[in-house]
Amino acid sequence: MSETTNPLGLTSMPSVSSEGLVPVGKRTSLRSYLSGLWNRRHFIIAESRAKVSGSTRKNLLGYGWLFLNPLLSVLAFWFIFGFILKTSDGVENFIGYLVIGVFFFQYTARCVTGGTGAIRSGAAMIRAFQFPRAALPISTVARNLLDFMPSLAVMILLLIVIPPLEHLSWRIVLIVPIIALQTIFNVGLSCLLARAGHMIPDLGNLMSILSRFWLYGSGVFFVIDVALADHPALLALMRINPMYSYLELTRDSLLYGVTSPWWMWLSAATWAFGLLVVGFLFFWRGEESYGRS
Amino acid sequence: MDAPENGPANIIAEDVQVRYTVGTKDPAHRSKGLNRLRDIALGRQGQTTVRALRGVSLVAREGEMIGIVGANGSGKSTFLRNVAGVEQPDRGRILVRYQPLLLGVQAALQPSLSGSENVRLGCLAMGLTPEEAAEAYEYVVDLSALGAAIHRPMGTYSSGMGARLRFAIALAARPKILLIDEALSTGDASFAERSERAMDELLAEAGTVLLVNHAAKVIQELCTRAVWMHQGEIIMDGPADAIAEKYRWWAWNVAKGKEYIAGKLLHDVVRNARKEEINILEPELVKNPIPRHAKRPSKGQKVAAARHVKRREVIEEVEESTALPLSASAPNVWPERIEGNFPQATFPVLPKPAVEAVSIQRAYDEPPPLRYRPREKRVMLRAADPRDRASAVAESSDLTSRRLASNAHRAAEQRYRMRQQMRGEFVEPHNETVPITTGVEQPDSTQREREG
Repeated sequence: MSETTNPLGLTSMPSVSSEGLVPVGKRTSLRSYLSGLWNRRHFIIAESRAKVSGSTRKNLLGYGWLFLNPLLSVLAFWFIFGFILKTSDGVENFIGYLVIGVFFFQYTARCVTGGTGAIRSGAAMIRAFQFPRAALPISTVARNLLDFMPSLAVMILLLIVIPPLEHLSWRIVLIVPIIALQTIFNVGLSCLLARAGHMIPDLGNLMSILSRFWLYGSGVFFVIDVALADHPALLALMRINPMYSYLELTRDSLLYGVTSPWWMWLSAATWAFGLLVVGFLFFWRGEESYGRS
Repeated sequence: MDAPENGPANIIAEDVQVRYTVGTKDPAHRSKGLNRLRDIALGRQGQTTVRALRGVSLVAREGEMIGIVGANGSGKSTFLRNVAGVEQPDRGRILVRYQPLLLGVQAALQPSLSGSENVRLGCLAMGLTPEEAAEAYEYVVDLSALGAAIHRPMGTYSSGMGARLRFAIALAARPKILLIDEALSTGDASFAERSERAMDELLAEAGTVLLVNHAAKVIQELCTRAVWMHQGEIIMDGPADAIAEKYRWWAWNVAKGKEYIAGKLLHDVVRNARKEEINILEPELVKNPIPRHAKRPSKGQKVAAARHVKRREVIEEVEESTALPLSASAPNVWPERIEGNFPQATFPVLPKPAVEAVSIQRAYDEPPPLRYRPREKRVMLRAADPRDRASAVAESSDLTSRRLASNAHRAAEQRYRMRQQMRGEFVEPHNETVPITTGVEQPDSTQREREG
């Protein structure tokens, strides 16, 4: 190292120009962060596909379980509720009602669990490479979406095959924007929970309980409009719940073939985009902290 | 390989400090009172703060390969993690010219995936496009030389194979700054040679490598420069040969249980260590000396590009002309001998150097001893008559004598006397008036430090 001494002998400190150097690992501006994320889109896809195939590879049937798992669970529901109990709870086509509720809720519930542990499970990648960390929670959602697709196909197939037949109409195409909105909602949610789970490791234990509460509060097993008919305040609260909107919209378009009320669409879209912005900004602000465990 | 002493810096670490708060079973760190009850109830441990880095300053320039040696727990890996940007230091800052790439000990990226899938995933994570990743795949397979094992799951690799693949993936993105944390020590001989060649290429492209390795021999062979870290500080910085030799001698003594010699060696090194300080010249301050907060952008004004962000690259286009210039073809343009009476060239009188212009002529050549911290330099006013000086006055009266006759003061007095003697103007004072202890002949560096 060269020691530069000025003529008056005042300093022995080496001087070095910092021109062209940047602070390392600092959070970048939102715009460059987003463009960095866009550049890593192939990484997000590859990572999510790797997770899907990595989770099924140990099994003998491999990818087969992506179809078998939903198939068997639908059959189990049909056997118990349709064959043994013969309950309908005043609901037309209760099995279809139940299956849609369980599958669509499972999609979000898995994103919640995966998002909470996204930073911890991606620790090896975080240490090895520098990339926008938001790629990790987003790839968790992408992975669950990939998991969800075969379930959806099986579900639609079985709803057609198993009696009673539902009313098919043009509204079946509405399933695409519904899933898109729910996916956007999931991205926001898992970004939010990824940072929260990193800051508070205890959250992983809490999330399973909370998601069970959410399950019962979203009208998966029963119709909350009927159950809470004499508690109007509580019912209004339940209807704000985004999962309620997503499930009802899906049932209306897929099962009953009726047009949904406009406020459901509004609620679904507001929740999706609102949580996306909030969750993403929250995650982005913690960008520098994810390397420390 | 020549070490470019004054090349542009690739990494500047300025006073980097890192501390961790970790749980400990140490009974001395148990919490007291109610907190202790809470800890017992929750099954938690006491907490302690570990200072992993205590102010590390380092400048790494282009084409340098710097070895980092030091005992376990001296902060080497922490430093590399901070340079890589994985963690942010608690104090200080780290500036880099390119994004560094860290090669850690834990090689497996996704253990359940095959080696080839890991290659693709790693390349994409570094920001390569899928096409570039496909191109890089060949290079990675060649460099890692894993053969058919590349298609097996990475979790089944031996540690050496994992390290090979990881190194090859890292080089696929052609990084300019590579941080290697013990990653290459598990490779075999053939891989060692191949990796050295790859690193030489990287250095030739104005890159920088920081290498942590416990084998001093490796440092000696590969590196141009080495630093020795101890308890979170750089205690030695210099040519790789000398430092690796010293470190090896110390490590050998520790290994043989010669604690006394090792301790003495370490003490010697630590005592001679000088805390490196770097003066970072901010180019944007030279160009635009108004501080950022003083100039808030109003609505109409448009802010220029963010500072720090881009390196300005000035590429000078050199036009290559195949045809020789006219003067080359005609050698008789200039006469072979110039005859005639030409007046002697006169040069303007150069201005005096600043030193001579400002101060009196120095009576001696040796510059005054360098101050350690010039910023806190104090100015001492001295009376012409030594008996009127504060120290002399204090000696005669009792109240303040103890404070003024401190070591530092005595040393300053001594230096002043020596300087006067050199100038030949010194009037020998009475022994009583100026207190000088005979023990302090030459104030050493530590004393000067304390004074400054």
